[in-house]
Amino acid sequence: MYQHLRLFVITIFFLSSICLFSQQKFTISGTITEASSNETLIGVTLLVPEINTGVTTNDYGFYSLTLPEGDYQIRLSYLGYQDIVQTISLTQDLRLNFGMFEEVEQLDEVVVTEDVEKINIRKPQMSVNTLSVQTIKKIPVILGEADVIKSLLLLPGVTSAGEASSGFNVRGGAADQNLILLDEATIFNSSHLFGFFSVFNPDAIKDVKLFKGGIPSRYGGRVSSVLEIFQKEGNSNKFHMTGGIGVVASRLLAEGPIVKDKAAFLIGGRASYAHLFLPIFDVANKAYFYDLNAKLNYKINERNNIYLSGYFGRDVFSVSDSFINTYGNGVVNFRWNHLFSNKLFSNLSLIYSDYYYGLELDFVGFKWNSGIQNFNVKYDLKHYLSEKLRLNYGINNIYYKFNPGKIVPNSPESGIVEEQLIEKYANEFAAYIDVEHSVTEDLSLEYGLRFSYFMRLGQEELNVYENNNPVIFDPFLLIYREAEPIGTINPDRGETLASFANLEPRISLAYTLNSDNSFKASYTRLAQYLHLLSNTSSPTPLDVWTPSGPFIKPQLLDQYALGYFRNIKNGDYSFETEVFYKDIQNRIDYIDGANLIANNAIEQVILNGTARAYGLELLFRKNLGKFQGWLAYTLSRSEQRTPGRPPVEDNGRSNRETGINLGQWYSTPYDKTHDISVYGSYTLNKKWTFNSNFIYQTGQPTNYPIGQFEFQGIVVPYYGLRNQERLPDYHRLDISATLTPKKNEGRKWKSEWVFSIYNVYNRMNAASINFRENQDTGVNEAVRTSIFGIVPSVTYNFKF
Amino acid sequence: MKKYIFLLAILALNVSCEEVIEVEVPNEEPRLVVDGLIRVDIDEPYIPVEVKLSLSSDFFNNNTPTSAESVLIQYDEYEDGTIINSFFSNLAELEPGSGIYTPDPNFSSDQRIPTSILDRNLVFNLLIRHEGRLYLATTEYVPAVPIDSLIQGDGTLFNDDETEIIITFTDDPDRDSFYLFDFSFSEFLVTEDEFYKGQQFSFSYFYDQIFEPNTEIEIGLMGADQTFFNYMDLLIEQTTNDAGIFSTPVATVRGNVFDITDIDNMDLFDNVEQPNVFPLGYFAIVQEYKDTLVIQ
Repeated sequence: MYQHLRLFVITIFFLSSICLFSQQKFTISGTITEASSNETLIGVTLLVPEINTGVTTNDYGFYSLTLPEGDYQIRLSYLGYQDIVQTISLTQDLRLNFGMFEEVEQLDEVVVTEDVEKINIRKPQMSVNTLSVQTIKKIPVILGEADVIKSLLLLPGVTSAGEASSGFNVRGGAADQNLILLDEATIFNSSHLFGFFSVFNPDAIKDVKLFKGGIPSRYGGRVSSVLEIFQKEGNSNKFHMTGGIGVVASRLLAEGPIVKDKAAFLIGGRASYAHLFLPIFDVANKAYFYDLNAKLNYKINERNNIYLSGYFGRDVFSVSDSFINTYGNGVVNFRWNHLFSNKLFSNLSLIYSDYYYGLELDFVGFKWNSGIQNFNVKYDLKHYLSEKLRLNYGINNIYYKFNPGKIVPNSPESGIVEEQLIEKYANEFAAYIDVEHSVTEDLSLEYGLRFSYFMRLGQEELNVYENNNPVIFDPFLLIYREAEPIGTINPDRGETLASFANLEPRISLAYTLNSDNSFKASYTRLAQYLHLLSNTSSPTPLDVWTPSGPFIKPQLLDQYALGYFRNIKNGDYSFETEVFYKDIQNRIDYIDGANLIANNAIEQVILNGTARAYGLELLFRKNLGKFQGWLAYTLSRSEQRTPGRPPVEDNGRSNRETGINLGQWYSTPYDKTHDISVYGSYTLNKKWTFNSNFIYQTGQPTNYPIGQFEFQGIVVPYYGLRNQERLPDYHRLDISATLTPKKNEGRKWKSEWVFSIYNVYNRMNAASINFRENQDTGVNEAVRTSIFGIVPSVTYNFKF
Repeated sequence: MKKYIFLLAILALNVSCEEVIEVEVPNEEPRLVVDGLIRVDIDEPYIPVEVKLSLSSDFFNNNTPTSAESVLIQYDEYEDGTIINSFFSNLAELEPGSGIYTPDPNFSSDQRIPTSILDRNLVFNLLIRHEGRLYLATTEYVPAVPIDSLIQGDGTLFNDDETEIIITFTDDPDRDSFYLFDFSFSEFLVTEDEFYKGQQFSFSYFYDQIFEPNTEIEIGLMGADQTFFNYMDLLIEQTTNDAGIFSTPVATVRGNVFDITDIDNMDLFDNVEQPNVFPLGYFAIVQEYKDTLVIQ
C-alpha cells in the first residue's frame, strides 16, 4: 500500500512538472445536446484531428478543451448522430454549445450507422461495456420486454445465475458486488419478479455503462463492477409521448418543456398486468410490478443546472390474501451542476435511497418488514487543466440505516410477539482524485487514489463472545456452530464499534501502436463495506444487507487486467480481448445450515474467506452496415475458499479447524467455464429489421447426492464437498423481427411492432436438478426444473 | 421463513416445467445409519427404546438393515458435574437381520428404562459396536408441551388440493424452546419460540393432498434441544422440493453419532485428520404429546 502511495506521489510530481511549459492558450467549452429535444448527450467525442487530441462530454453533456492559440477544425461524433465539422479560430476563450441531429435515413438505401459502440483506442479506460438504448431495445428478450441487464448478459464477462434469477455476475463476482447507479443513486435490487425483468424502464434511459475492471477512483463501495445508468432529462423543446404495449407489461412516458429551452419534465410509468403467470390457479392470486420514473430539470443559466429525479418501483405478490409480499426501491435525487470556470465543472448530489421488503403471512399470523435506507452527499469536480491533463476529484459521504427486520402480529388473536431486530447504522466516507493524463502521443494514463473510511456506529445491543469469537468449531462433527454470547453491550449511537480505512489505488494505461491498435493495462483496488447475506444460489429480494463491523471485515479486491484493442477497416469491425485476474479478501461464507433470515446475531454464522477469479474475454464486433452484431467468448474460473482459522492453544491442545468445505477451493455458483454469445441484427429495408441472439454456457455448478439414508421415514439425500457437479450446458436461440409500418413516414405518430420468439428450439435448460422421493411411488428420482421453453411474444411501441 | 420463500418461488415459476431425468450419481462406501429418535410418553411406565440400524446407499438404491455386534445405552446421573450413578440398558435385535434394537428381554435383569427416572439429571450414551468399529452418541432428555387444540381449517394456500389443519399450543415461558412436529406421512416441521415466547401460539399446516372423510391423522409435538433442532431443520431443508434457484448450499447432515474407534484422546482427539470417517443419523430422547384429528 505504501508503495502504491509513493508511486502516486511520484506521478503527481511528474505531471506537475509538465504543466510548466504552457504557452498562450485558450479554452473552448460548452454543452452538447440532441438538437430536437435539448437532451444532453453523454460521451460525444470532440476531436481536433490536426493535433490528434480530443475530449468526450461528461455525464452532463459538458466538455472543455484547452488548446494553444490558432485555427482548428473540430469534429463532433456520436453514435447514431450526424457528425458536425466546424472550423474555429481560437483567439479567446469560447463557449460553444452544439445540438446534434439524429442520422437521417437516405431515401432509397438505408445506411445504418447507429449502434456504433466504437471502442476508444486511445483512452486508457478498459473493461467497459457500453450499450446504446437502441441496441437494448432490439435484442430479443423473454416476453418482449426490452431489458438492460438481460442485454448486458450478451457481452463477455457478464453472466447470470439463469432465467428467473435476480442480479448478474461480472467476471466471476457475486451479484452483491455490483454497484448499480441510477442517476448516481445506489439501487439495491435490480430485478422485478425474482429476476424476470430488470427494474429499469428502457424508455426513460439515456445511457448505460458497465465497468468490469479498471474502475476509476470516483467509484467505490462494490468490488466487482459498476453499472452506471443515466435517465433522460426530458425534452425541453416539445411535448412527446412514448409507450409500448406488451404481453406482460405496458409502459407510457411523457416529456416536455415547462419553460421552453430552460426547464423540462419527464414522467414515465410501467406496469405489468396483475395475475401474471397465475391464472391457472383458481385461488385469488396476484403477482405484478410497477415502476415510476420522474425527472425535472431547470437550466438556470449557462453556469448552473439543477435536476430533481426520482424512481419508485414495487413488486407485489399475494396469494389468497394469506400471503402478501411487497418489495422495491425508491430513490430521490437532487443535483446541481455548477461551472466555476470554463475549465472547472462541478456537481453536487443529494441522494436518498430506500429499499423496502414486506411480507405478511396470515396463516402464521405475522407481518414482517425489513429494509435499508441511505443518505448520500456527493460533490464531484472535473477540472480540465490542459488538453493533456484532466483531474477528477471529489468527496462522498453515505449514512446507512439497516433494518434487518421487524415482526408484528397481524391480528389480535395472533400469538406472535412484536419484535424489532436490532437496527444497524454505519457511515461511509470517501475522497478521491483521478488524473486523466496523455503523456505522449502514444501513451495515456489514468491514475487515481480513493480513500475510504467506514464506521460502524453504535446500536441498541451487541453480543459479546468468549475470546471475541462468535463462531465455534466442533472438532468431532467438523462443523461450525453459533457460539453462545457471554453478554451484551449497549453502545451509544455516537460510538464507533469498528472502523476501517482503506487506500484504493487505481491505474490504467493505454499504449497506442497506431490509430487502430492499442494495448491497455489496469490495476484496481476496491473495498466493499456492505455485504448481502445470501446463501442461495441466486439472491432473493428478502436477503438483507449487513455492514462490516466488529466481526465482519470489508471485502478487498485486487484486479489486474491486460487488453488488446483493434479497429479493423476504419472501425467497421472491432476486436478486443482482455485477460483478468481478481483476488478478493474477506469474502464472507456461511457455515452449513446457516439461517440468515431474522437472525439477530449474523456474526454467529459467518466466516471470512477468500475468492478469486480469472479469465479471458474476446469480443468481435461488426459496427456498420446492414448487418451488425457481435461474437463474445469468455473462458473463466471463479472460486472461493474458507480455510480454518489459525489453531488456538487451549489446555495444551491446539484447536484445529478444517474450514468450510474442508478448507478446499470450490466453484462459486456463478463459475461458468465457457460462455459464448452471438448477437446479430439485420436491416432488410425500411420496414423490416431482424435480430437474433444465441447463448451457450457451461452448466452451473451444483451438487449431486453421494448417498442417501432414512431417518424416521424421511429419505435424506446427503452430499459431499460443495459444487462438485454441473447442470447440463445451457444454450438457447432467440429471434425477433421489428416491423416499422410505411405509413409512419411524414406523420407524427410513429409506431412499430416487435415480434419475438424466445428459446426458438424449445431447449429445456435446467434451472436446477432436485433429488427427491416420489410421493406416489416412493421411488427416488432426479427432477429437472426448466423455466422457459419456447415463448413467442409481440409488443407494440409508439411515440408521438 | 426461507421455506415460505421457496413456496413463493414455486408459485412464481408456475410457468416452469418439471421432468424426471436420468442422472448418474456418485457413489461411496455405505455408512452406518442410526435412527435413534426415542419418543417418550410420560404416562407410560417405560421409555419405548428402539434404535434402528441400517447401511446407507447411493441415491437410487435402498438402505439395507444391518446388525451390530453390540448396542448399549449407558445413562449417568450427574450431581454438580460428577457422576453419582450409572445405569445400563443392553439392547438386542428384535428379529435377526431387522436392524431394530430394543431392550434385551433375555438379559438376567430388566433392561427397560423406567420413565420415572427422567426427573433426574441424566446423560444418555448410546454405544454401538458395528463391523469392528465403535460408535458413540450422547444426549439428554428434552420435555415438550401439550397440544391445546387441533382443528381442521378450510383455507388453502396455493391450490385447492390442500388440507389445512390448525394447531394451537402454549409455549413454556421458562426456557428457550425448540419443537419438532410430526404430521405423519414423513412430514416434519421444526419451530423455535423466538417470536412467541410464553404465548399461546397457533399456526396452520397445509397438507398437499385431500383426505378421504374420516381419515385419522395423528400429530406429534416433540421437544428438542438446539442441536437436534438444527439437525432436523437441515434435514428437512435437504429434502424439501423447492424450485432450486433459491436452494441453499447442500451439506452432509451429520448427526450426534460419532465413530470413536481411533479417537484415543491422547494422540487423536478430534476428527480434523479424518473428515471422511463418520456415521449418519441421530440419537435423541424427547417427550412427545400426540393428538388425533378426524378429517371431515
